[in-house]
Amino acid sequence: MDPFATLGAPRRFDLDLSALEKTHRELSRALHPDKFAQAGASERRAALEKAANVNEAWRALRDPIRRAEALFQAEGLAVGETHEPKASPAFLMAVMEEREALSEARAARDLAKVKTLGAGIASRAKTAESRLTAGFAGGSPSKDELATLLPLLGELRFYRRFLDEVEAIEEEAEEAALARANEVSS
Amino acid sequence: MAYSDKVIDHAENPRNVGTLDKEDPTVGTGLVGAPACGDVMRLQIKVSDDGVIQDAKFKTFGCGSAIASSSLATEWIKGKKVEEAEAIKNSDIVNELNLPPVKIHCSVLAEDAIKSAIADYRAKQAAKR
Repeated sequence: MDPFATLGAPRRFDLDLSALEKTHRELSRALHPDKFAQAGASERRAALEKAANVNEAWRALRDPIRRAEALFQAEGLAVGETHEPKASPAFLMAVMEEREALSEARAARDLAKVKTLGAGIASRAKTAESRLTAGFAGGSPSKDELATLLPLLGELRFYRRFLDEVEAIEEEAEEAALARANEVSS
Repeated sequence: MAYSDKVIDHAENPRNVGTLDKEDPTVGTGLVGAPACGDVMRLQIKVSDDGVIQDAKFKTFGCGSAIASSSLATEWIKGKKVEEAEAIKNSDIVNELNLPPVKIHCSVLAEDAIKSAIADYRAKQAAKR
Protein backbone atom coordinates (compact mmCIF):
# COMPACT_ATOMS: atom_id res chain seq x y z
CA MET A 1 0.00 0.00 0.00
CA ASP A 2 1.26 3.48 -0.89
CA PRO A 3 -0.02 5.72 1.92
CA PHE A 4 0.58 8.83 -0.19
CA ALA A 5 -1.75 7.52 -2.90
CA THR A 6 -4.31 6.33 -0.32
CA LEU A 7 -4.63 9.81 1.16
CA GLY A 8 -4.01 11.66 -2.09
CA ALA A 9 -0.96 13.35 -0.58
CA PRO A 10 2.06 14.56 -2.57
CA ARG A 11 5.18 12.43 -2.22
CA ARG A 12 7.09 14.84 -0.07
CA PHE A 13 8.59 14.66 3.38
CA ASP A 14 7.22 18.02 4.57
CA LEU A 15 3.51 17.27 4.49
CA ASP A 16 0.85 19.61 5.78
CA LEU A 17 -0.24 17.34 8.61
CA SER A 18 -3.29 19.33 9.64
CA ALA A 19 -4.63 19.25 6.08
CA LEU A 20 -3.85 15.54 5.93
CA GLU A 21 -5.65 14.90 9.19
CA LYS A 22 -8.69 16.62 7.72
CA THR A 23 -8.52 14.43 4.61
CA HIS A 24 -8.24 11.37 6.84
CA ARG A 25 -11.27 12.44 8.85
CA GLU A 26 -13.35 13.13 5.75
CA LEU A 27 -12.43 9.84 4.09
CA SER A 28 -13.13 7.93 7.31
CA ARG A 29 -16.53 9.57 7.59
CA ALA A 30 -17.38 8.77 3.96
CA LEU A 31 -16.33 5.16 4.49
CA HIS A 32 -18.11 4.73 7.82
CA PRO A 33 -20.10 1.45 8.06
CA ASP A 34 -23.29 3.43 8.83
CA LYS A 35 -23.18 4.82 5.30
CA PHE A 36 -23.12 1.31 3.92
CA ALA A 37 -25.91 -0.15 6.04
CA GLN A 38 -28.10 -0.59 2.96
CA ALA A 39 -25.28 -1.72 0.67
CA GLY A 40 -24.51 -5.27 -0.42
CA ALA A 41 -22.06 -7.47 1.44
CA SER A 42 -19.20 -7.05 -1.00
CA GLU A 43 -19.58 -3.28 -1.09
CA ARG A 44 -19.63 -3.19 2.71
CA ARG A 45 -16.50 -5.28 2.84
CA ALA A 46 -14.75 -3.05 0.29
CA ALA A 47 -15.60 0.07 2.30
CA LEU A 48 -14.35 -1.55 5.48
CA GLU A 49 -11.09 -2.48 3.84
CA LYS A 50 -10.66 1.03 2.42
CA ALA A 51 -11.33 2.54 5.83
CA ALA A 52 -8.63 0.32 7.34
CA ASN A 53 -6.18 1.40 4.62
CA VAL A 54 -7.01 5.05 5.21
CA ASN A 55 -6.33 4.67 8.94
CA GLU A 56 -3.10 2.83 8.33
CA ALA A 57 -1.96 5.42 5.77
CA TRP A 58 -2.61 8.25 8.23
CA ARG A 59 -0.72 6.45 10.99
CA ALA A 60 2.22 5.95 8.59
CA LEU A 61 2.35 9.49 7.23
CA ARG A 62 1.99 11.38 10.47
CA ASP A 63 5.09 9.66 11.88
CA PRO A 64 8.30 11.17 10.40
CA ILE A 65 10.19 7.87 10.41
CA ARG A 66 7.39 5.86 8.83
CA ARG A 67 6.77 8.68 6.37
CA ALA A 68 10.42 8.55 5.30
CA GLU A 69 10.19 4.76 5.00
CA ALA A 70 7.12 5.12 2.79
CA LEU A 71 8.92 7.67 0.61
CA PHE A 72 11.87 5.36 0.02
CA GLN A 73 9.55 2.42 -0.60
CA ALA A 74 7.53 4.45 -3.09
CA GLU A 75 10.82 5.03 -4.94
CA GLY A 76 11.38 1.29 -5.05
CA LEU A 77 13.93 1.04 -2.22
CA ALA A 78 13.67 -1.63 0.45
CA VAL A 79 14.01 -0.37 4.01
CA GLY A 80 14.59 -1.99 7.39
CA GLU A 81 16.94 -4.71 8.55
CA THR A 82 19.75 -5.68 6.16
CA HIS A 83 18.51 -3.29 3.45
CA GLU A 84 19.94 -0.11 4.87
CA PRO A 85 23.59 0.93 4.86
CA LYS A 86 25.63 0.58 8.03
CA ALA A 87 26.02 3.77 10.01
CA SER A 88 29.40 5.44 9.65
CA PRO A 89 31.94 4.90 12.47
CA ALA A 90 32.03 8.64 13.17
CA PHE A 91 28.27 8.76 13.54
CA LEU A 92 28.21 5.68 15.80
CA MET A 93 30.97 7.16 17.93
CA ALA A 94 28.97 10.35 18.36
CA VAL A 95 25.79 8.43 19.24
CA MET A 96 27.66 6.27 21.74
CA GLU A 97 29.18 9.33 23.43
CA GLU A 98 25.81 11.05 23.68
CA ARG A 99 24.18 7.89 25.05
CA GLU A 100 26.90 7.54 27.67
CA ALA A 101 26.55 11.19 28.64
CA LEU A 102 22.81 10.64 28.97
CA SER A 103 23.18 7.58 31.16
CA GLU A 104 25.65 9.48 33.37
CA ALA A 105 23.23 12.38 33.66
CA ARG A 106 20.50 9.93 34.61
CA ALA A 107 22.67 8.30 37.27
CA ALA A 108 23.57 11.75 38.64
CA ARG A 109 19.88 12.79 38.53
CA ASP A 110 20.99 15.83 36.58
CA LEU A 111 17.73 16.65 34.85
CA ALA A 112 19.03 19.91 33.36
CA LYS A 113 21.81 17.97 31.63
CA VAL A 114 19.29 15.40 30.41
CA LYS A 115 17.23 18.19 28.85
CA THR A 116 20.29 19.79 27.23
CA LEU A 117 21.36 16.47 25.72
CA GLY A 118 17.84 15.86 24.48
CA ALA A 119 17.65 19.32 22.90
CA GLY A 120 20.96 18.68 21.11
CA ILE A 121 19.70 15.42 19.62
CA ALA A 122 16.32 16.94 18.75
CA SER A 123 18.09 19.64 16.78
CA ARG A 124 20.14 17.00 14.92
CA ALA A 125 16.92 15.17 14.11
CA LYS A 126 15.50 18.43 12.75
CA THR A 127 18.55 18.83 10.51
CA ALA A 128 18.15 15.28 9.18
CA GLU A 129 14.46 15.97 8.56
CA SER A 130 15.17 19.16 6.64
CA ARG A 131 17.64 17.26 4.47
CA LEU A 132 14.90 14.71 3.74
CA THR A 133 12.51 17.56 2.96
CA ALA A 134 14.98 19.07 0.49
CA GLY A 135 15.77 15.66 -1.00
CA PHE A 136 12.16 14.83 -1.76
CA ALA A 137 11.02 18.36 -2.64
CA GLY A 138 11.55 18.15 -6.39
CA GLY A 139 9.82 14.93 -7.41
CA SER A 140 11.63 11.59 -7.57
CA PRO A 141 15.26 11.85 -6.49
CA SER A 142 17.90 10.19 -8.67
CA LYS A 143 19.44 6.85 -7.63
CA ASP A 144 22.52 8.64 -6.33
CA GLU A 145 20.45 11.13 -4.40
CA LEU A 146 18.43 8.30 -2.86
CA ALA A 147 21.64 6.60 -1.77
CA THR A 148 22.79 9.74 0.05
CA LEU A 149 19.36 10.25 1.61
CA LEU A 150 18.87 6.69 2.90
CA PRO A 151 21.32 6.92 5.85
CA LEU A 152 19.22 9.81 7.19
CA LEU A 153 16.45 7.31 7.91
CA GLY A 154 18.80 5.27 10.08
CA GLU A 155 19.93 8.47 11.80
CA LEU A 156 16.35 9.35 12.64
CA ARG A 157 15.87 5.97 14.32
CA PHE A 158 18.99 6.45 16.46
CA TYR A 159 17.72 9.89 17.44
CA ARG A 160 14.27 8.58 18.27
CA ARG A 161 15.74 5.91 20.54
CA PHE A 162 17.68 8.64 22.29
CA LEU A 163 14.69 10.94 22.67
CA ASP A 164 12.51 8.06 23.95
CA GLU A 165 15.12 7.54 26.64
CA VAL A 166 15.13 11.25 27.49
CA GLU A 167 11.37 11.11 27.86
CA ALA A 168 11.56 8.03 30.07
CA ILE A 169 14.09 9.74 32.35
CA GLU A 170 11.94 12.86 32.60
CA GLU A 171 8.88 10.80 33.49
CA GLU A 172 10.86 8.88 36.06
CA ALA A 173 12.01 12.16 37.60
CA GLU A 174 8.48 13.55 37.68
CA GLU A 175 7.18 10.43 39.38
CA ALA A 176 9.98 10.58 41.92
CA ALA A 177 9.19 14.25 42.62
CA LEU A 178 5.52 13.41 43.00
CA ALA A 179 6.28 10.56 45.39
CA ARG A 180 8.44 12.91 47.48
CA ALA A 181 5.70 15.54 47.54
CA ASN A 182 3.17 12.96 48.72
CA GLU A 183 5.49 11.82 51.44
CA VAL A 184 5.93 15.37 52.73
CA SER A 185 2.21 16.10 52.73
CA SER A 186 1.18 12.86 54.44
CA MET B 1 6.86 -10.34 23.54
CA ALA B 2 8.11 -13.07 25.83
CA TYR B 3 11.84 -13.15 26.45
CA SER B 4 13.55 -16.41 27.26
CA ASP B 5 14.91 -16.88 30.80
CA LYS B 6 18.46 -16.60 29.51
CA VAL B 7 17.75 -13.27 27.83
CA ILE B 8 16.16 -11.95 31.00
CA ASP B 9 19.08 -13.18 33.08
CA HIS B 10 21.67 -11.48 30.84
CA ALA B 11 19.59 -8.34 30.42
CA GLU B 12 19.01 -7.94 34.15
CA ASN B 13 22.49 -9.01 35.23
CA PRO B 14 24.67 -8.18 32.26
CA ARG B 15 28.20 -9.59 32.49
CA ASN B 16 31.29 -7.57 31.68
CA VAL B 17 29.72 -4.16 31.32
CA GLY B 18 32.33 -1.45 31.11
CA THR B 19 35.19 -0.03 29.13
CA LEU B 20 38.79 -0.88 28.39
CA ASP B 21 41.38 1.74 27.47
CA LYS B 22 40.89 2.18 23.76
CA GLU B 23 44.35 3.73 23.39
CA ASP B 24 45.99 0.52 24.68
CA PRO B 25 47.60 -1.25 21.67
CA THR B 26 46.49 -4.64 23.03
CA VAL B 27 42.85 -3.50 23.17
CA GLY B 28 40.54 -3.78 20.19
CA THR B 29 37.33 -1.76 20.09
CA GLY B 30 34.31 -2.63 18.01
CA LEU B 31 31.52 -0.13 17.62
CA VAL B 32 28.42 -1.17 15.72
CA GLY B 33 24.87 0.03 15.32
CA ALA B 34 21.60 -1.15 13.86
CA PRO B 35 20.05 1.54 11.66
CA ALA B 36 16.84 -0.46 11.53
CA CYS B 37 16.21 -0.07 15.27
CA GLY B 38 18.65 2.53 16.59
CA ASP B 39 20.63 0.27 18.91
CA VAL B 40 24.33 0.93 19.50
CA MET B 41 26.85 -1.55 20.86
CA ARG B 42 30.49 -1.25 21.85
CA LEU B 43 32.53 -4.37 22.50
CA GLN B 44 36.18 -4.34 23.54
CA ILE B 45 38.78 -7.07 23.88
CA LYS B 46 42.17 -7.11 25.57
CA VAL B 47 44.50 -9.62 23.97
CA SER B 48 47.60 -11.20 25.53
CA ASP B 49 50.91 -11.68 23.67
CA ASP B 50 49.97 -15.26 22.83
CA GLY B 51 46.74 -14.20 21.16
CA VAL B 52 44.30 -15.07 23.95
CA ILE B 53 41.46 -12.71 24.87
CA GLN B 54 42.14 -11.95 28.52
CA ASP B 55 39.32 -9.53 29.06
CA ALA B 56 36.22 -8.36 27.27
CA LYS B 57 33.86 -5.50 28.07
CA PHE B 58 30.76 -4.15 26.43
CA LYS B 59 28.30 -1.32 26.59
CA THR B 60 25.02 -1.59 24.73
CA PHE B 61 22.21 0.90 24.41
CA GLY B 62 19.32 -1.09 23.08
CA CYS B 63 16.67 -3.66 23.85
CA GLY B 64 17.00 -6.61 26.23
CA SER B 65 17.97 -8.98 23.43
CA ALA B 66 20.75 -6.69 22.24
CA ILE B 67 22.11 -6.39 25.78
CA ALA B 68 21.85 -10.15 26.31
CA SER B 69 23.53 -10.91 22.97
CA SER B 70 26.51 -8.70 23.73
CA SER B 71 26.73 -9.85 27.35
CA LEU B 72 26.81 -13.48 26.21
CA ALA B 73 29.35 -12.62 23.51
CA THR B 74 31.80 -11.19 26.05
CA GLU B 75 31.34 -14.23 28.28
CA TRP B 76 32.06 -16.57 25.41
CA ILE B 77 35.12 -14.84 23.99
CA LYS B 78 36.95 -14.41 27.29
CA GLY B 79 39.75 -16.98 27.45
CA LYS B 80 39.40 -17.86 23.78
CA LYS B 81 42.04 -17.37 21.14
CA VAL B 82 41.27 -14.51 18.76
CA GLU B 83 40.72 -16.96 15.89
CA GLU B 84 38.24 -18.96 17.99
CA ALA B 85 36.33 -15.83 18.93
CA GLU B 86 36.23 -14.85 15.29
CA ALA B 87 34.50 -18.14 14.47
CA ILE B 88 31.48 -17.38 16.69
CA LYS B 89 28.37 -17.10 14.57
CA ASN B 90 25.26 -15.12 15.32
CA SER B 91 23.28 -18.38 15.02
CA ASP B 92 25.21 -19.70 18.07
CA ILE B 93 23.89 -16.72 20.04
CA VAL B 94 20.37 -17.18 18.68
CA ASN B 95 20.37 -20.82 19.78
CA GLU B 96 21.81 -20.15 23.22
CA LEU B 97 19.37 -17.32 23.98
CA ASN B 98 16.37 -18.70 22.08
CA LEU B 99 15.95 -15.42 20.26
CA PRO B 100 12.72 -15.05 18.27
CA PRO B 101 13.00 -14.19 14.55
CA VAL B 102 12.34 -10.47 15.13
CA LYS B 103 15.36 -10.30 17.45
CA ILE B 104 17.86 -12.12 15.28
CA HIS B 105 19.35 -8.80 14.20
CA CYS B 106 20.52 -8.32 17.81
CA SER B 107 22.71 -11.42 17.52
CA VAL B 108 23.99 -10.20 14.15
CA LEU B 109 24.97 -6.97 15.86
CA ALA B 110 26.88 -8.90 18.53
CA GLU B 111 28.74 -10.97 15.93
CA ASP B 112 29.60 -7.78 14.03
CA ALA B 113 30.84 -6.23 17.26
CA ILE B 114 33.20 -9.16 17.95
CA LYS B 115 34.56 -9.07 14.39
CA SER B 116 34.92 -5.31 14.42
CA ALA B 117 36.81 -5.42 17.78
CA ILE B 118 39.15 -8.08 16.38
CA ALA B 119 39.70 -6.06 13.19
CA ASP B 120 40.58 -3.00 15.28
CA TYR B 121 42.99 -5.04 17.42
CA ARG B 122 44.70 -6.45 14.31
CA ALA B 123 44.96 -3.03 12.68
CA LYS B 124 46.67 -1.73 15.82
CA GLN B 125 49.08 -4.66 15.89
CA ALA B 126 49.90 -4.21 12.21
CA ALA B 127 50.54 -0.50 12.74
CA LYS B 128 53.00 -1.31 15.54
CA ARG B 129 55.25 -3.35 13.28
